Formats: sequence, structure tokens, C-alpha cells
Amino acid sequence: MKKKKKNYKEEKQRRERERERERDGVDSGEERIEGDQRERSGYLLARAQRRRLLLTHCNYVFIMFFRRCLPDGNLLQTKLHNIGAKLVGVDKFGNKYYEKLGNTQYGRHRWVEYAEKSRYNASQVPAEWHGWLHFITDHTGDEASPILKYYLISCLLMLKPKRYGIEHKENLSGEGDEYIYHSKGHTLNPGQRDWSRYQPWQPTKAE
Amino acid sequence: MGLGLLASRAIRPFNSGSRFLLRTIVSKPELQSPESSAAAADASPEPDLPPRTPVGGARVHFTNPEDAIEVFVDGYPVKIPKGMTVLQACEVAGVDIPRFCYHSRLSIAGNCRMCLVEVEKSPKPVASCAMPALPGMKIKTDTPVAKKAREGVMEFLLMNHPLDCPICDQGGECDLQDQSMAFGSDRGRFTEMKRSVVDKNLGPLVKTVMTRCIQCTRCVRFASEVAGVQDLGILGRGSGEEIGTYVEKLMTSELSGNVIDICPVGALTSKPFAFKARNWELKGTETIDVTDAVGSNIRIDSRGPEVMRILPRLNEDINEEWISDKTRFCYDGLKRQRLNDPMIRGADGRFKVVSWRDALAIVAEVAHQVKPEEIVGIAGKLSDAESMMALKDFLNRMGSNNVWCEGTGTQPNADLRSGYIMNTSISGLEKADVFLLVGTQPRVEAAMVNARINKTVRANNAKVGYIGLETDFNYDCQHLGTGPNTLKEIAEGRHPFFSAISNAKNPVIIVGAGVFEREDKDAIFSVVETIAKKGNVVRPDWNGLNVLLHNAAQAAALDLGLVPESSNSIESAKFVYLMGADDVNLDKLPDDAFIVYQGHHGDRGVYRANVILPASAFSEKEGTYENTEGCAQQTLPAVPTVGDARDDWKTIRALSEVAGVRLPYDTLGGIRSRMRTVAPNLLQVDEREPATFGHSLKPEVAQKLNPAPFKSAVENFYMTDAITRASKIMAQCSASLLKK
Repeated sequence: MKKKKKNYKEEKQRRERERERERDGVDSGEERIEGDQRERSGYLLARAQRRRLLLTHCNYVFIMFFRRCLPDGNLLQTKLHNIGAKLVGVDKFGNKYYEKLGNTQYGRHRWVEYAEKSRYNASQVPAEWHGWLHFITDHTGDEASPILKYYLISCLLMLKPKRYGIEHKENLSGEGDEYIYHSKGHTLNPGQRDWSRYQPWQPTKAE
Repeated sequence: MGLGLLASRAIRPFNSGSRFLLRTIVSKPELQSPESSAAAADASPEPDLPPRTPVGGARVHFTNPEDAIEVFVDGYPVKIPKGMTVLQACEVAGVDIPRFCYHSRLSIAGNCRMCLVEVEKSPKPVASCAMPALPGMKIKTDTPVAKKAREGVMEFLLMNHPLDCPICDQGGECDLQDQSMAFGSDRGRFTEMKRSVVDKNLGPLVKTVMTRCIQCTRCVRFASEVAGVQDLGILGRGSGEEIGTYVEKLMTSELSGNVIDICPVGALTSKPFAFKARNWELKGTETIDVTDAVGSNIRIDSRGPEVMRILPRLNEDINEEWISDKTRFCYDGLKRQRLNDPMIRGADGRFKVVSWRDALAIVAEVAHQVKPEEIVGIAGKLSDAESMMALKDFLNRMGSNNVWCEGTGTQPNADLRSGYIMNTSISGLEKADVFLLVGTQPRVEAAMVNARINKTVRANNAKVGYIGLETDFNYDCQHLGTGPNTLKEIAEGRHPFFSAISNAKNPVIIVGAGVFEREDKDAIFSVVETIAKKGNVVRPDWNGLNVLLHNAAQAAALDLGLVPESSNSIESAKFVYLMGADDVNLDKLPDDAFIVYQGHHGDRGVYRANVILPASAFSEKEGTYENTEGCAQQTLPAVPTVGDARDDWKTIRALSEVAGVRLPYDTLGGIRSRMRTVAPNLLQVDEREPATFGHSLKPEVAQKLNPAPFKSAVENFYMTDAITRASKIMAQCSASLLKK
């Protein structure tokens, strides 16, 4: 994980350096022309190549990002909506939470882009983010609560009682018979409680 | 002004009579001080009170009408016999006096002081349980003096009593809890530390939380007076007073469970029942115990399909208000090792679950393949009379008459009813002054009968002689000998105990049912009858010749005539129908015999069975049982049957139809009317039917006495039948209490 981040940072730094150099190149072009022409042409060629490469990369990224949008207008709208919005956080399932305060209808200024791109539904939002997403609270799921920050408790996520708070599970209705919920006493519940209050005699024991 | 107020003002003048009813309860300063209020009470004229009904149906029995005295309870005159206490007089007058230490069946201790009442011309309130009532006594039970005195006592009792009612098993049926509602203060003045006491280990049945104890000493008195064991006692004085066993020791009494009932607080509670249920969740069913032949009256407390506990029910003639530990704690055996499906043993020797239809078809087919005289039916010790009737009728219709009940021996004498029941009756034993126990150990065979003998020994100084193997008694007992030779000596008048019998006013001879299994039983009975004749044991006004049976089914089986035709029928049997019979000796049975076991527990009987038919236990069926004194009683179903089990008689009735010899009854009423033609006394429920003919009708016997000593019939008091053998609690008891 750390290594990846490092790589990412390095890449970023490298790109910035390149961009700077590019800018420098454009700015100080006059001087260079005066200098070695050959060197200059080589430089331009390299720049063009790099630009093409960047374009292909962008193209690739664009396709990767918006390919899913082709059959799913909803996702497309979300993606377009995301432009200019603030990414507030990402939960442990990878759902991204966005907020845009200006230029949006109040009440529609928080939304989620689900990590699951094909079969997403509202039950995939975990409890700690539910409050933020539905304007119940302004504290995000991974944010430290201002009151509890004092006690260095990092908040809603941490507030979940470890002893009996269970992991969030999305609603799997309609995903197959094995996911149908059956109550504790239901015959089809595999962990059905045994209500018989006697032990039958086991004939095999006797043998 | 509101409409309601207007209306009430308008109504008030017309309704002047109701002012009395609407009177508010106020406390005036003159009522606060006892002296002035007593004076006020004196001044008021005697109210004309309506007659009240005595508490709990208390009866007054005047042995001598001249001994009657009159006392006044709250101004109401009541006639009581001399020697009654003030508390008893109040009970007759219909006033229930709060009490903790007083118990009508135990000696009077007078140490809790809760029963204080005011008596006129007495300087202080008196403890009514210990004060004899005197003629003309004016007793006041609800005056401020009495109330204040009880409130003071209650405050002192609650001082050292923990406030743990929510986690206490006695909660809801606790005397202290109930009475503190009436006499407890709403606030405490006690600021010091509460006393705490170390819990005692009294064995696997009684749980102790001794901090809750209020030192009423009921358990101590019960142990020494009723149970006859000197295990419990008081140690220390004042706030250091503790109930205990002096040294670490278990309570080794077969009646120890009763201390749970008599404890007014939660100091002694049931260990197996601890934290299992709350008493208000339970459904009580008044029924009969079947673990021994006494037929103790019990209440089965159940929750849903589960028996949660068993409590005694008052029956003065049989068990008073006690029951034995086996009766009280056998209930967990009802939940273990149950047979819940019909099963057939396959060719590989393994049992396979089948439907009732298949099981009955196979049994009927095999029953028709064998010769009629090769069919044998044996009823178990827990069978009810209805099922035994059905079994006998079924076998008779199949052409066989080899049917008997286990424990009655191969040649039982069912002709004379006086030859197998307790002719004196259990409550009649209290009049006796000499006991001769022949081959019986009542302490393990019938604990409630033993408690009755103990009571008699204590009250009348009755003499007890015992013939049999060395055993413990919880009262003074003379061990006369071990075998029939001693009996013969007594019969011939050579033994010193013979003079004790012949000089006694009401002698009693009790013969154990273990004698039935002996070869020379007729000879023994004839010797016993000789003693009875010479010692004047059987008179028109007194019948002291008794047989103490062991099993709940025995008396009814003999009444219904379950007697085998030939004594060695088991050696030639090809088809054996065991109706819950587990203790019958099947060693001599041929290997190719087909055995049907019909019962409720997978006990000894199933191991050789070819077909298992599940049946219901006594807590699940309605059935008639006759106890050892000849009193027919009925059980009632407390819980549903388990699995596919059916009542015994229903199975036999269904089988008879499959076998083509249909029995002519379809209902319990039908089977009872059939029983009426055989043994009408079994339908006289809750009434003891004495034997009509005495022993004098018996023919002479030419048997010789076998000098072998009498064997002990019950090896382990806690495990005698299928239910108790399946019980874990009983297993614990026999492991810890019977270890020598």
C-alpha cells in the first residue's frame, strides 16, 4: 500500500517536473531557437510524442471511466455531476461520497457514487455514512466528531460498539434463494432454533 | 367553575349516605399513639360483625365438648378447644396472622416475633404462636399497637436481609416479600453495613444463600422432627447466628427438598430449579406422583412443553404436605432419553424409525404367528390402571392369559385384597404404638410412609422392630434379625418382641413387597398371619396387618387381576409385550422371542426389543393409579406428549384393531366402565377403599420357610424406575449422597 503511494507520488512529481519543463520550453523558446536548431527540433519531436502519449492515456482513462456510462444513464449523470464537486470521503467498500455546495439545489447537494457499478442499491451505504448522506448529520463517516475529538476518539466509525455491532451487509434480496432472509424460527433458516424441550433416545448409542 | 364540580355539588345533598364510602383515609395524631387509640377502641361499642370463614378452611375438632373455650378475636366470639394457641384461635376466627417461624406441622419456636397481637389486660403485645388461648381472652389483631409492633419486627428483619428480590428464586412466593408489603416501611433508617453469611453446601438439591436467612429455624425443626436427621442446627448468637451443619456435611435425608418449601425466604431454594423460571410463569397441574407406591399428591409446574418443577400438594391422608426428594427432583428425567418415534429393529440389529401403521402391522402379524400360550404381557411399574386393563383384555382376546405387572412376583396372591394393601392406611399408622417391619426398609421403599412412622415414634413413643438386612433408620429401631427364622420365633412366642406386640394397644405389622419375589412367600405370609392372630393385630376396630408395595402400578394391577396363568411362562414365550417393564428378568427368555417394548424411556427394556412403541409418561396422560393403601387417584396431563408418542391404552386399542380382535372401548370413559366391572374401587377416586375380607379366608399353606435373609428391595433410593434412571439430578444424588 505504502509502496504504491510512493510510486504515485513519484509519478506525480515526475509529471510536474515535465510540465514545468514544458512550460519553460514554451516560454524560453526564442532563446533556444537561437541556439542549437537540431537540439530544438529533437525536443519538439519528443514533446509531440509525449503529447500524443498523454492523449492516448487520457483517451484510455476516459473510456475506462465512461464505458460503464453507456448503458447506464444514471451513472453518467452521477459522473457529470461529480465534475466540480468535492469528494468528501470514501468508505471501506469504496463508495465515494460527493458534496457540492454552490450551484446545486439544496437537498441534492450530497450524493454517492457506488463502488459497485453494475448492481448498486441504497443498502450498500454503511450505517456510518448513512447519516451524512441523508442530511441527518454533518459528520462524515470517517470524520472525528468535534465533541469526541477532544477525547481522541475518531467518531462514528469508532462509536460502533465492537461487542455487538455487526459488519454492514447490503440487502441481497432477489440475488438468489440462498440470500432470502428467514427469521430465527423459520423452517428454512439454517440456524433454526430447536424448540423441542426433550432429548430423544438415540438407538445407535445402545448398540 | 367546571361542569363536573357543578354536577358533584348538585348531587351531594341527595347522596348523603355515600359519604361513608367516600371517606378519605386520614391519620390523626391520636391514632399515632397506641394508648389513646386503645382507649378510643374501648369506648366504641362492640361492632356486630358478620361471621367470618376460617383461614385456609381451618377445621375445629372438639374431642371433648366440655373442653371448648370461648375467646374474642377482634370482638368476634369464637369457640375453640382448650390448648389451642392464640394464633390458631385467630385462624379459626378467619384472621390470618403474619408469621415466619410458626409452622403448623413443626414445634413452636416463637423466635420471629412477627405474629405479635394485642391482648387485653396484657402489658405488652404477645407472640400469638406461642401463647395458649385462655377462656374469655380478648385478642385484637388489627390495632395500632399490634401493627406498630409488627412494623418494628419487620424493620429489624429487613435490616440484615439483602435487597436482591429481583435475582432471588423465591421472589413472587416469598413470605417476607409479601408481608413487607403490609408491614414494611417505605424508607430505611439503617445506615450501617448489612451482615453477610457464608453459604453452606447442603448437597445437590438444596441451594443456600444464607445471607437471606432470617433465622426462623423452620428448616432446623423440620430436619430433626420430620426428616429425623440431626443435620441442621444453629451456630452463634445475636447477629452472628447462623444456620448450618456445624462441620461441612451434606444433608443426607430423603425429605431434604421440603426445606425449600418451608423456608419463608430465599435462603434455601431448589438447586436444579435455580434461575430456570419465575413462579408466575408456570402453569400448575394437580396430579399424582408415581415414583413410589405412596401416590403423593403433587403439583407439576410447567412452562410450555417442559416440566419445570414439582411441588407437594396437601393431602392429610397420604403425604401431608411433604414429598420425597425422588418425587420432587425426578422431573428432569422426563426430558431425557425419551422414545418419540415407533422403531423396528432391522436385520442388521439397528433400529429404524417407521410409521405407526407399519409398526402396528408387524406387531399384529407376529402376534398371530405364535401360539396363544406363547404370548406374554408384562406391565411396567409406572403403568396406569387403564392401560393394564387394555393390555389384559387384548392378551385375553389373543388367547393368552400370561399377563402380570413387574414386582408382584410370578404367583401373586390377588384373591384377597387385604393381602396386598396397607390395611391400616397411611394416616392410620399414627395411632399405632408398636411396629414390626418384616423385610421392608420404608425409608427407601416409601419415604412418606417412613415419615409417618417417624412422626408416630416421636409422638407416641412407639416401639419399632425390624427384621431384614442391616439398614439405617431415622428413628429408634430394634433390629430383631435378618431372616424368616426370627419371624418364626416371634410367631411361636419365643422372642421378647412378641410380648411387645401382644401388649400393644394398636400393633402394626408391615411386610415389604420384596417378599413377593421369594419362593416361600406364602409360608412367610402364613407366619405373619399367625403373629397377627396371636398378637391380636387384626380386630374389628383395628387392622394392623399391612403390605407395603413398591411401585405405583402394583396395587391396581392386582386389583385388575393381572396374574400370570403359569409361573414359568417366560421360559416358553415367543412374543413378549413389555408395557414399560424395565426391571423384569428376561434372562430365561428364548433367544428367538419377539419383544415389543412400549414405553416412554429408552431404558433397560429396549435393549432386547424388536419393536419400540413410544408412550406418554405420567406427566402427559390421564390415568388412574392406586396407592399402597388402596386409594385410587388420577393423574392429569401437565405437558404435551413428546414426538409421536401416544397413551399406552390407545396404542393397545389400535393394535387390537390391526390384529383383528378389536377392543370394545374407544374413550377413557369406555375403558373406565370396563374397569368398573373388574375393580369398581378404581373409580372411587381420592377415596380409600378398605379391603372387604380379612386374612382368615386364606387357605392353609404347606410351604416350608427358607431361612435365607430378606433382601433389600431397593438398592438405590434415587434410581428405581425409567424416569429416575434417566434423571441427571438423581444420578448426582446417588453419586454424592449414597457414597459410603
